[in-house]
Amino acid sequence: MTLVPLALGPLEATGFRILRSGVRWLVADGQWCEKDRPIGYFNVSLEPAGRLPVGQPRFADEMDLQVAFAPRVSGRLKLDDGHDRGGYLNIRSIEPWDPAARIAHVETGEAPDDGTATTLRLLMLAGRRMTALADVHSGLLPGWHSRSRGWWGEPGETPRTLLSLGVCDVAGVVLGGQAAFTEMFEMARGALQMVHVPDHPIAPCVPILIDQLERTPAQYEAIARDIHGHFGALADPLTADDWIFLGAVLAVLKNCPIRDRHDAFTSGGLQQLGPAEAVILSLAVEPQSILRHRRLGYHMHVMRHHQAAAGPAVRSWLASAFETVKRPVEAIRRDYETLVDLVRKQTGARIMCLNRMSTSGHEDIASYLGFDAPLSDTLSTVAAKEMNVMLSEVAASHGLDVIDLDAAAAEIGGAEHVPDGIHQSGLLQTILRREILDLLEAPRA
Amino acid sequence: MIFEVSLGQIVPQMSGATVECVHARPGDMLAMGSKLVDLSVDLSRAFAQECPPVSYYRVVLREKACLRALTVKPGEALDVGELVALFSTDPAEPLDQTPERALRTTVAGIMHHENMFSGQQL
Repeated sequence: MTLVPLALGPLEATGFRILRSGVRWLVADGQWCEKDRPIGYFNVSLEPAGRLPVGQPRFADEMDLQVAFAPRVSGRLKLDDGHDRGGYLNIRSIEPWDPAARIAHVETGEAPDDGTATTLRLLMLAGRRMTALADVHSGLLPGWHSRSRGWWGEPGETPRTLLSLGVCDVAGVVLGGQAAFTEMFEMARGALQMVHVPDHPIAPCVPILIDQLERTPAQYEAIARDIHGHFGALADPLTADDWIFLGAVLAVLKNCPIRDRHDAFTSGGLQQLGPAEAVILSLAVEPQSILRHRRLGYHMHVMRHHQAAAGPAVRSWLASAFETVKRPVEAIRRDYETLVDLVRKQTGARIMCLNRMSTSGHEDIASYLGFDAPLSDTLSTVAAKEMNVMLSEVAASHGLDVIDLDAAAAEIGGAEHVPDGIHQSGLLQTILRREILDLLEAPRA
Repeated sequence: MIFEVSLGQIVPQMSGATVECVHARPGDMLAMGSKLVDLSVDLSRAFAQECPPVSYYRVVLREKACLRALTVKPGEALDVGELVALFSTDPAEPLDQTPERALRTTVAGIMHHENMFSGQQL
């Protein structure tokens, strides 16, 4: 057995000093730890090294910055004393980042051969809060974020970026069990950045994404003025739920995550990463009908369980200021084709999409006599099959990459691994994660 | 002959279901293929989750029978095994007897629709 010391290793942001909190351990002293699986984390902050920069400093909109770390060999963890400072000293960034600082050892039977085993592998995490009020200190990437991201890489590497814009089926795969990209970090071979934008309050179906890509600042101003005019004219005061929901709606309408650029502090210094090279979507988020604003023409899709978060004034606004537009499969196909073309033109990103589970172990249809035609208007599995076929055709005609959830789930048992058709087991998530990483790491056809 | 329809264990993890709509009335003679009820199964009834794992199902008759009693209405929550309806082969047959067996039905996953108790998607 070898006792391998674990040091922090290099982490730099040109023009800044990186400060860190005390260690918050995820694995207790004496426990087994797997290589590449985070065993602890720090909160970090970036302090300007010289004069304060003019304008908004980097990372100012990402108030939750953390660095998680993992050993490069598996073994039994031996914690060094004095690094878990406790209380607010484990929350506030108080110590300069020291690459040589040793915080633990790992007792291992593996024979590390490249000299890197003594340096921790780092997972950098950043969360842009939906509101600065959402300051939660409870774990990895805590709080309510309008965008969260995690990145990693070795010196000299530039991470490629995957943007996740989906509902639970994609979010669970990309974010993982701790909602901090730790499983992707563990499985990935190269330098990557994972970015996740959640589905609240507006779900990222394709018409919403097209609107974001096409909306001009003047159009956003018109929407904001229209909302102000509508709610300002109401006789009854808005509830707290109405205000909070509207603030979140405006934040989503103003942003365009597909075009976002990202700053990243890395072992090799500060890097500016361009828009995502790949965007992953979920077919399951596409509704059969969508709301369209009667006057300004923009779309709105709030999933049923998120509608409950809106106050009465917002619910009334959604019902009166918007019209319902039906979306047959052909309309959804056209939307996908438009999106792929738009994204290719604006950023060049490749689009991946998780298809839908199209079989169910919970039904026992002996005859279709009892179901009105067209069957896809009634039967969810038939509708899912039609959508999957459509997606495959878009893939063939426009170069979209399909992540075949349908086949992966069927192979291991849909009833057990995706019991409601959306929420997957850990095993199924692992299979899908591997497929996504293989696609990311493969050269583009 | 009297038959019954009870809430079956559609999904292994479910503890119950909510009646979303009923498609027949007592006294109706229903043909094979007739719709009986639409149900929603929310697995977060058993496992609390932010995004509710809800799926929707329709119960359809696989044999002809007369609907004699419907013991549920839209919005009601049912436990697995709870009685949904009683049927008979003869419309005038007394109901004060033990059901012969379960009526043969089909269960299919369906899309949410506007006539459901849970309402229209905004």
